[in-house]
Amino acid sequence: MIDSALLVGFAAASVRVGTPLALAAVGESIAERSGMINLGIEGAMLAGAFGAAVGAAHGGVASGVGAAVVAGLLVATVFAAVAVAARADQIISGTAVTLGATGLTGLLAQRAFTGGNLSLPILPVVHVPVIEHIPLVGPVFFRQTVLTYACYVLIPLASALLWRTRFGLELRACGEAPAAATAAGVHVGRTRALAVLMGGACAGLAGAALVLAQVGMFTERMTAGRGFIAIAIVALGRWNPWGTAAAALLFGGATALQYTFQAAGSHVPYQLFLALPYLLALAALGMAVGRHRGPAALGQSH
Amino acid sequence: MTLRLSRISKHFGTTVALDGVSFSAIPGEVHALLGENGAGKSTLMDIAYGMIRPEAGMIEVQQRGGVALATPAFASPREARAAGIGMVHQHFTSIPAFTVSENIALTAGWTETGRAAERRAAHIVARLGLPLAISAHVESLSAQMRQRLEIVKALATDASILLLDEPTAVLAPREVHELLEFLRGFAAAGGIAVLITHKLDEVFRVADRVTVLRRGVVTLTGVLAEQTPHSLAHAMIGADLARPIPLKAQPGVVAVEASRLSLTRGGQLAVVNASFQVRSGEIVGVAAIEGNGQRELLRAIAGVDDVVTVAGTLEVAGPVAFIPEDRSSEALIPSFSLAENLLLGTLDQSSWWLDWNAIRRDTQALLASHDIRAGGPESQAATLSGGNQQKLVFARALARQPRVIVAENPVRGLDIQAADMIQERIRAAARNGAAVIMHSSDVDEVLALADRVLVLRRGEVQDLPSDPTREQIGDALLAMAAAR
Repeated sequence: MIDSALLVGFAAASVRVGTPLALAAVGESIAERSGMINLGIEGAMLAGAFGAAVGAAHGGVASGVGAAVVAGLLVATVFAAVAVAARADQIISGTAVTLGATGLTGLLAQRAFTGGNLSLPILPVVHVPVIEHIPLVGPVFFRQTVLTYACYVLIPLASALLWRTRFGLELRACGEAPAAATAAGVHVGRTRALAVLMGGACAGLAGAALVLAQVGMFTERMTAGRGFIAIAIVALGRWNPWGTAAAALLFGGATALQYTFQAAGSHVPYQLFLALPYLLALAALGMAVGRHRGPAALGQSH
Repeated sequence: MTLRLSRISKHFGTTVALDGVSFSAIPGEVHALLGENGAGKSTLMDIAYGMIRPEAGMIEVQQRGGVALATPAFASPREARAAGIGMVHQHFTSIPAFTVSENIALTAGWTETGRAAERRAAHIVARLGLPLAISAHVESLSAQMRQRLEIVKALATDASILLLDEPTAVLAPREVHELLEFLRGFAAAGGIAVLITHKLDEVFRVADRVTVLRRGVVTLTGVLAEQTPHSLAHAMIGADLARPIPLKAQPGVVAVEASRLSLTRGGQLAVVNASFQVRSGEIVGVAAIEGNGQRELLRAIAGVDDVVTVAGTLEVAGPVAFIPEDRSSEALIPSFSLAENLLLGTLDQSSWWLDWNAIRRDTQALLASHDIRAGGPESQAATLSGGNQQKLVFARALARQPRVIVAENPVRGLDIQAADMIQERIRAAARNGAAVIMHSSDVDEVLALADRVLVLRRGEVQDLPSDPTREQIGDALLAMAAAR
């Protein structure tokens, strides 16, 4: 018999765990729509997590969130400078940026948290009045932290940006046919750089969600590939913020399964559950993405 | 060994590339295949080499021993090579990261590798008298050596018919001389060399016989000694020799003014010291053979490419509408809807929020008023025919109410009806006060449309009399003014 409390707990955990993935993936979907595949978002997310920890330790959760966005933007700026301005290969630049951010946050973390600084303020769970009482939906979606609510706002915003604004049209043109965009008078480099920065800010927020709403502390390499998972999520979500959010929830669920099974006292080795999101990423990319084409100029420098 | 192509026809979409073309070459000759861009030269040779299947006609190769091979088409270059035909393409086809001998082995289908392949390659290179560094990587070779490798690859399978598609384009004058010497020697030894070119001086330096193609038909074929530069130029560019081009427009204010303008692109000098004006109400046609600076000039006026002004000035009155030559990669985004494509090119950026209901209405109205046959505002641009795509591009350009219109090959690839319609639209835009500067690689198109012609050669504007005849324009294009 499936306990309904267990089910609600699992679903709520899926949303909580899916939040950083969704934040990072929605931002990356904007970058990829402009033709930029940014493997550096793993690094931006990690920098965001570090920024969130430092900011929160010194100035409370609001400073933490602000510092996370700034850190994500900084990392994205490096990627934009190399891959957009200097037209370097996107895959190599993104990988280098992630490796650099991993090393730098590790080094800085040793300095910043020498005394074993464990007393980070964390984001409180905010109960949204009235709608939190809707059966199932209320407790699952509306007893979350403010960053999850930010994500609820960000998804329609990103979708509107891409399909409802002139800037979005130009951005998508850069991702489909940069030569045509140029001929139409679009500044491809500037547009792509802006798209990368938006992705970086979102990845920073994702890092904040990881530290301030999930883990409650910063540890080296704590993103553990979530940025890369976000890139798989973008493809699974077909480069569309709504699809991306749905895919993020699926991956959140795969991760949350582990907690639920442990709580239920299962004897299945926990490593299997740890591996589950990654196996899901491979399966998803193989099955769903193969049939759908991304932006035609994705990964091409201009 | 003889090569004979009989009544070859080939269409691409609605465009006739070759219309019943017959061509033959005999042992011991260098045969020049002459024509403008788009005349069908490369298509004809690609058919002889099995890269393109013709719709009608026959390919015959008469072997030395009298064995004849006749086929409607070679299924692949491999079959053509087996029949003794080798081809040097306009663009290099070697793999830069491979060595010279690896590239030869790959093309010739050798089973040897490593040292054995190098020995065999060295033997061939020596036999042909084309010295090459056998073990060098291709990426380290000069353009001349890369082209030499292309020739060696073409001849490695003992071909005695060698087809060369504009081989001198990449060579310096001294290197051109060496190549032409080689071709003479190859023919003297009993081979057939077919040289595709649009350079008349090379034809006179090397060819025994010449065939001229124009718009997919043979306009002249015969022994070179019986020809003059003018007879060839006129076969290339068209008859109707002495008709002066009427002045059609009443030009208004100056909308484009270039003064001693020099342009570079990617560090290469493309336009040199050009001075000219384009006035509102007139159509200026830029006549030039591919790669003589017309692309850079037009794009500098349109302000779209990374063309750098290194000297002089260029003043252009805005707004400028640009019609790029490549509809599917530059003018339109095939995967975008018609509405999205129209929006992208419009200058109205005041409204950052897109009201899709209004946009769909406007798009529908524009489709109707410009007679664009499409499913609707939401259909993908890729689903439109070439003519309708170009009409869409024009509708978009005119919606900006441009003072200057820059158009590259505006009717390329369109059928006659669509081409007429587009040309009429350009004329109407000029009548309504736009200054139009356009280029077409087909001189006839330039002459049909332009009030005034600007001839560019090697990036320089050529001097022309005030009412030039076609003959004079042809001479300026092909650098024969001095020969007169």
